[in-house]
Amino acid sequence: MLLDVLQGAEPGGFILIQDTVKCTGRGILKCFINAALKRGEDVHVLGFEASETEVCAGLDRSCVQKLHFHKGFPDPLGWMCRSSFTVDQLTSQHITKLIKDSQHAKAPVLVIDSLSLVLRHHDPVVISQRLQVLRKGGDIKTIISLLHSDLHLHGVVGIVSQLASTVISVAPANNEHHAVATTTRRSKSGKVMQEEEYFNVSEDMTLSVQAKLRQHGHVQKEQKVAEADPASNLTFNLRLSEEERKAKEKLALPFVFSKEKKSALLRPTPGSGRIMYEPDANDDFDEEDPDDDLDV
Amino acid sequence: MFPELNNILNSTPDSFKSSDFILVSDRQADASFLIHHYLSFYLRAGCKVCFLGLVQSFSHYSAVGQRLGVSLAQAREKGQLVFLEGLKDSIGAILQEESSQGTQHLSYLRSPGAGLKGLFRFVESSVRQNGDHDDGESWGPPVLLIDDLSVLLSLGVTVGAILDFTLYCQATMCTELQGNMVILVRCEEEDADDDEEGANLLQRGLVHQCNLALHVEGLPTGYCRDIHGQMQVWWRQSGETMYNPRKTFHFKVHDKGASFFARGTSSAVL
Repeated sequence: MLLDVLQGAEPGGFILIQDTVKCTGRGILKCFINAALKRGEDVHVLGFEASETEVCAGLDRSCVQKLHFHKGFPDPLGWMCRSSFTVDQLTSQHITKLIKDSQHAKAPVLVIDSLSLVLRHHDPVVISQRLQVLRKGGDIKTIISLLHSDLHLHGVVGIVSQLASTVISVAPANNEHHAVATTTRRSKSGKVMQEEEYFNVSEDMTLSVQAKLRQHGHVQKEQKVAEADPASNLTFNLRLSEEERKAKEKLALPFVFSKEKKSALLRPTPGSGRIMYEPDANDDFDEEDPDDDLDV
Repeated sequence: MFPELNNILNSTPDSFKSSDFILVSDRQADASFLIHHYLSFYLRAGCKVCFLGLVQSFSHYSAVGQRLGVSLAQAREKGQLVFLEGLKDSIGAILQEESSQGTQHLSYLRSPGAGLKGLFRFVESSVRQNGDHDDGESWGPPVLLIDDLSVLLSLGVTVGAILDFTLYCQATMCTELQGNMVILVRCEEEDADDDEEGANLLQRGLVHQCNLALHVEGLPTGYCRDIHGQMQVWWRQSGETMYNPRKTFHFKVHDKGASFFARGTSSAVL
């Protein structure tokens, strides 16, 4: 599904790439930029967190002139008055103007790197509205954005995720060369599809995807091996053969009362003991039955 | 400067990677020995160093530097070291009139909500003076050291403002001037991160920005005489692999240095 999204041509889409400290999503963002450039589309990058050289590194040289980098990076807040684009300029009017100024034949792709910095300075509701206006405006084909989801409240991440047509969350896999991407795609009919895939970003910013299913089976197999019998390598015998089991069942355990044992114990024997008592003169013998009052 | 740490990180004062943002963090342990390491490391490498000492006095750093074989007072005289003594200057910043020019960089003490623009201007101006001294001495790439950033949180500065400040510092120091940056932050306990405006949020934000994260913790099994704690080394954004494994080393801090060893190879065990 990740490759479908990467090739995807659905207009008016909003692709959100969520990452955490454990696994960076910038690689996958660059794959999306590269794929759009290779399709011959113009890409406008609003770069707040990484420099132009960092974003362009590894991209296809032949189409790099199609990339329009709006420098927010060295000065995203306008402290030094050196940037061509500040966080406050992220309004639908300003971006539409920027795009109209560059006069493209086709609607271009807008990349925001990253939305986290924008959300730090603006109300998420306002930003969501602006993004929605941009999507519906028709001047932009797709919006692709990176979001560091562990830097925001769950509610804020939720608001932005609701807005997106596709959410890709990246997480580390226990493997040096892959990471896991969970892709949630909401089609226009309202159907929601979700898939987990392993992916890898190569140096020339191409994305290779492996289905999770096969990997999943692999993992399960490994678990089965791990669950192997712990009693297999013992120096003593824990198991019983059929004969041994029968012999074991025959054996009567001590302290377990069988019928024979019980009757043997309770049988009256001849000449068993009885009590002989001869009262002597000083004994105070009570004629009355001491248990008379009891109802026995 | 600790040679063993240089071996682990594959860097020496003669050859080290530039444009690096190194994040030093600790949780229930003290990672300031790494700040002392980097201070002596970059002074030896001949870099122009800007040091924001927000938690200790100059004489403290100077005394530790002496043990590690560098003289901070000399470096300061030569113009190699720019030292902001947060403890001393704060009083002045609070007591003086608001309009005074001298303490603009500490304006966050008076109005923490206004951000750290003044502090950034101080950093920028001190590293850009590189080379235009009368004696003609020019220094290597600039380096910014901060000990420690989380103290700003207790002064009322928000996490967002601090992250903006570090982003600007990174853009200027690492990207534009090809220098380095070392920042210490202290984290709270793992389960205390339910308040979102905390030191842990700051640390996560900085990990997103940094190239190398060094995290110092006490041993999970408790106090030990021969191992003072463990350090996680985490290279980020290397580009070649998707998943950067974290390496863990045990360490022991000595009087004049520190030794690092792989887990289970302490002299107390072997």
